[in-house]
Amino acid sequence: MHELSIATSIYDACQATMRQHGGGRLEVVRVAVGELAALEPDLLRFAWDALLAASEDRGCALEVEWRPARQRCVACDEEKPRAPGSWLRLCPDCGEPLSLEGGDELEILQLSCTGPDEEEGGGT
Amino acid sequence: MTEVDVRQRILAANEAAAAALRAGFRRDGTLVLNLISSPGSGKTTLLEATVARLKGRLKLAGIEGDIATERDAERLRRLGIPASQILTGGACHLDARQILGVLPAAGLGTPDILFIENVGNLICPTSYDLGEDFKVVALSVTEGDDKPFKYPAIFARAAVAVITKADLLPHVPFDLAAVREQISALNPAGHIVVLSAMSGDGMDAWCSLLEERLASKRAERA
Repeated sequence: MHELSIATSIYDACQATMRQHGGGRLEVVRVAVGELAALEPDLLRFAWDALLAASEDRGCALEVEWRPARQRCVACDEEKPRAPGSWLRLCPDCGEPLSLEGGDELEILQLSCTGPDEEEGGGT
Repeated sequence: MTEVDVRQRILAANEAAAAALRAGFRRDGTLVLNLISSPGSGKTTLLEATVARLKGRLKLAGIEGDIATERDAERLRRLGIPASQILTGGACHLDARQILGVLPAAGLGTPDILFIENVGNLICPTSYDLGEDFKVVALSVTEGDDKPFKYPAIFARAAVAVITKADLLPHVPFDLAAVREQISALNPAGHIVVLSAMSGDGMDAWCSLLEERLASKRAERA
């Protein structure tokens, strides 16, 4: 339910970055979203499109890189595979407790923009 | 087309506000909890029982986040502690800027422990740092024993998980051992407290945990 406020934070940060680079039109924004960031990528893209619909950056794509969390067994010294959206309680091989790594990413990676000069004459 | 590497946390603005809050709480020696759960799991009742036990020894205060009504802040004020209500008007979580906004005029003084009770929601509040020392997730036994794996983000991030309404355990199919396993898979260092605010069972362990965390925060500061 808070995808719109996350989309707003992404857009605010992108606009600030754009101003530092002399403005222009935002074309593509790439973000990393971890499995434990409590965000749904489809809802985030939907919120993003709605947020930008009335702006000059309308149509800018939001690319979401999904970063799963990793369950690791210290005793076996390896990552244990699991089905998407499911969790292992204990190591399926040795029964020892697992550690959890990553999955909390919530980061703007990169943006692509058309500079103000390239935009001239475009009309929109 | 120009490509710019941004490499910036999406919630950087919230995190800057949270850092300012955290610095202030550290200066004042205030232990701050961010209490998160689904609606109706007993957050406010837990706080009432906690206040009843600790208020003779410690200065306590509360910030209550709700979509509507002053009801929760009034429940804490009735117990004689200052409390401030933040009405989010539909928003599903508190953010650090809201806390920064209310603190100057909230009249909370410099409490030993500040309880921030988030909007009832197991998902959205997880991402927003409020400058707290740690998050506490409350899960009532009537909600079912599959919740940690269904809502992994909050159970992975909360330093303390409180299992509430434990007096109802004989009446509901709630596998406590399974819940402990799920929580420890998501959060190996996490602490679990099983309690009932109504019967009082487990409340001493919970209150001791708060006093220990307060003492260690003060010791670090000294």
